[in-house]
Amino acid sequence: MTAARRPSPPLGVRAIFRALIPIAERDEVLTELAAEFERRVKTDGRAAARRWAWRQALGSAPALVRRGWWRGMTGFEPEANRLRPGGPMYESWIMDVRYAARHLLRRPIYAGLAIATLALGAGGMAAVYSVADAILRDPLPIVREQQVGVLWFGGSWREQEFLGLRPNFPGFQRMGAYRPDDVTLEFAGQPLKLIPGVAVSSELLEVLGTPAFLGRTFRPGEDVLSAELVVVLSYSLWQELGSDPNLIGKPLQLGGLPRTVVGVMPQGFWFPSPTIRVWTAARMDPNNRSGRYTLVGRIAEGQSIAHMDGQLRALAGLLAANFQYPNPQWDKTRNPSMTSAREFFVGDVKPALIATLAAMAVILLIACANVAALVLGQVDARANDLGVRAALGATRQRLIQQLLAESLLLGTVAGLCGAALAVAGFTILVDSLPLGALRETARLDWGVFGASMIAALAAALIVAFVAGIALWRGGSLQSVLATTRTGGVGARGGSLESLLVVAQMALAVLLAAGAGLLIRSVVNLRAIDPGIQVDGAVVVDTTMPARLSVDERKLAIDGILPALRALPGVHVVGAAQKLPIRGSGDNWSLTVRGRDDLRATTATRMVTHDYFAAMGMKIHRGRGFAASDRAGTERVVIVNEALVAKFFPNEDPIGQVVQTVDAAGERIIGVVSNAAEATLVEGAVPARYLLVSQMPFLYSQMSFVIRADGSDVAPLVKAVRETIERESRHLAVQQATTLRNMFDLAVGPVGQVVILVGVLTVLALVLGAVGVYGVISHFVQRRSREFAIRLALGQSPAHIVRRIVARGAALVALGGTVGVVLAVLVARLLTSLLYGVDASDPMSMAGAVAILVVVGMLAALVPARRASSTDPATLLRES
Amino acid sequence: MKRQKRVEPTLLGAFEEQVMLAVVRTSTDAYGMNVRRELEEVTRREVTIGSVYATLDRLEAKGLVTSSRVPADSDVSSRRMFVVTPAGAQSLVLTRSMRDRLWNSANVRIMLEALSPARARQ
Repeated sequence: MTAARRPSPPLGVRAIFRALIPIAERDEVLTELAAEFERRVKTDGRAAARRWAWRQALGSAPALVRRGWWRGMTGFEPEANRLRPGGPMYESWIMDVRYAARHLLRRPIYAGLAIATLALGAGGMAAVYSVADAILRDPLPIVREQQVGVLWFGGSWREQEFLGLRPNFPGFQRMGAYRPDDVTLEFAGQPLKLIPGVAVSSELLEVLGTPAFLGRTFRPGEDVLSAELVVVLSYSLWQELGSDPNLIGKPLQLGGLPRTVVGVMPQGFWFPSPTIRVWTAARMDPNNRSGRYTLVGRIAEGQSIAHMDGQLRALAGLLAANFQYPNPQWDKTRNPSMTSAREFFVGDVKPALIATLAAMAVILLIACANVAALVLGQVDARANDLGVRAALGATRQRLIQQLLAESLLLGTVAGLCGAALAVAGFTILVDSLPLGALRETARLDWGVFGASMIAALAAALIVAFVAGIALWRGGSLQSVLATTRTGGVGARGGSLESLLVVAQMALAVLLAAGAGLLIRSVVNLRAIDPGIQVDGAVVVDTTMPARLSVDERKLAIDGILPALRALPGVHVVGAAQKLPIRGSGDNWSLTVRGRDDLRATTATRMVTHDYFAAMGMKIHRGRGFAASDRAGTERVVIVNEALVAKFFPNEDPIGQVVQTVDAAGERIIGVVSNAAEATLVEGAVPARYLLVSQMPFLYSQMSFVIRADGSDVAPLVKAVRETIERESRHLAVQQATTLRNMFDLAVGPVGQVVILVGVLTVLALVLGAVGVYGVISHFVQRRSREFAIRLALGQSPAHIVRRIVARGAALVALGGTVGVVLAVLVARLLTSLLYGVDASDPMSMAGAVAILVVVGMLAALVPARRASSTDPATLLRES
Repeated sequence: MKRQKRVEPTLLGAFEEQVMLAVVRTSTDAYGMNVRRELEEVTRREVTIGSVYATLDRLEAKGLVTSSRVPADSDVSSRRMFVVTPAGAQSLVLTRSMRDRLWNSANVRIMLEALSPARARQ
């Protein structure tokens, strides 16, 4: 007869209880549990009983874990268990942790140093990681973003092209277009405000796939010339306007025109950058041939962006059939390509983030090596203790467990401190990374705490592992006892510590070389003469509503100049429709009367009378603009030296007539010094300057430059902004900053990241120096007896110093060599940040090694001098 | 023989009180799983064995209950059986009297009736 199998609780449930209940009570609890389970199977059925068992196990686990620790910590043992086998759970671990805690408290300097080192590494890593994670990994506000990409055919797109291909983009489900379109907002009782926005085709928000939070997105047909003007707001703008759900369907005065609000996007949605707050329906004109749109498409199901070549070539073919591209520079049929949305929107900040993350990882590794050396030093200092424990029967595993407990304790405390550091440093980090508009997506959350703990504990495990190797290889531990009596001679050779120093030095060189490359790039960039006087001026960018006529715009500009000039300390105010070092701007064709062969384009700027004085540019020949040059008189133009050198190399340009606006042309009255009218890197380009008051047309953008006494004009920025907001009904301030800030921005991401990497490098050098110092002093300490004997036998102290320093130098040199090899391999990561310097620049590498050698030798010199200056008699007696 | 430390009666927490009372109610059969079952039946709420054991440990450490091994009849050789100590019994009385004093002048029923007469009658 076979007895029916008795039902028993699920295996996992039994395993949980088995693990969490002390041996003394285990059988009893498991049997009772099985009995209760069996009863429940009979009354409630098997499934319900299993659910009950799991609830019991998972619900009991926290209480049982707490009880286990509590018993271990307090030593409580119930009366009933006194004669039972087992004893408290986790006892050896609890003992080890308490022992480690006592040990660390007794050596506060050692503990503090180890914790501070690990906390710096872990905290920095956590802070950089959370920024990088938020920007590089957080989902974009695009549904199934891997299907969405940006089309780049060597230039931005014309409305004509987009509208021509609109019905049929081969290989795409949908294609949308957008262009930058910041608009002014006139809202009851508020000063005129500029809202960053984009004008989009009706499909664009559909391509992205995010539905509206309120109302709807755009409908087909809302982006044609005859359509009613409609607009979708961002959540934050909607909130700023009073969070009124009834705003949908109402008109809003945007860009000087009433536009109907049809929808509000959900919170957290951004496109194409987090600063954009309004999406207006573009009014697309099939005859418009100006190119300023970016195309964003969602590819067909089952396709991948990496394999779109065929479709893109087909698209290029369609373009070639329908449009003509006489200028090969703008020929869209030549290089059809597509970039994934993520690469397009966050790709720019990636190199800087990855460089910082890598630098931080290197610091963390250096910190690990440092702490491992510290712990090893402690292991040696405790050789007696360990020897006795081994002699009394402690196994190697047990001694390593002790080491692990100590490391994990250090790691836990360091993780907590590191999290605090990361939180404190997060804002500074976000500010010093070149994140641009993406800065707004970087937010601090609990992830930073987890990252810090993980980094610190991982580092602690590495430390325990390295130190554990030393113990494991120590051969018979009883021998440790024997060797301590010989003053350490013949004990461990310290090769592991030496290896750590080499590794540390290699990592420090790697970092220093990277920093060297970045510093040289920044120096190169800053050495470029922008042709303007960077200090002592404030820059304000403004916009006027699109509905204003040209005369009204001129009045608005002229009207504000006296108020700005009246500000304390200000001596000259100028304005231009675009300032230097901010990108290429308008390039218009140049025609010189009497020179029909000339075909060229040059930068063309519209400026006010005092613009050159405000920018610190000098008139070298002829004259500047005078009050007599005004609307109605002969139109005049001032050209720069680069233009003269290129187009009038052997003749006097003054008095010549160029034709820009119409056949009447403009007479050249003067030559002004060069300025980097495009980008800082491009330097001086040929440029000509026309007077705003003489132009028959004018853009709605205008930038004012206010030059004041003294070089610190930061306090003036606010006053300038307030003056414009107060005095002008038609000018909306886009941003106000100093010219110095504008220049720093022009230097680019490398200018921002270099400070951070520089700080990290100094940190790495300090940590490296501490490491060398620690290991060499330990080496000296271990051999102090040997040195004493040598001194007693008549060897000169200088010889001993040389011997010790030579050892330090050898370690540093070896580390430096490895570091240079690493640096050459890794520096390519930085290529996109470098300017005027090769990724394997020998100067940077040599500089890094030189600094390291000096630092390393100094660190070795201190213990060496100590060893050579002690009295051998005292030393020998002591040991 | 170990000298018994003198234990002062103390106020009990709500769950401590419930566990102690369940030990008293199961008297001769007060082992962990049985205490848990008793609690569940009387309070009509699911109680996990882990929380019962952890609380019993704490009570034993305070000297309010003691445990001893008692040979069992069934599949297990012995069970850890709990008994409330005199100090434990005094603690129960103390806790109850404190609660009674608090309840004495707190007329919750009137409040409930004011809020919702029908529900208060239930």
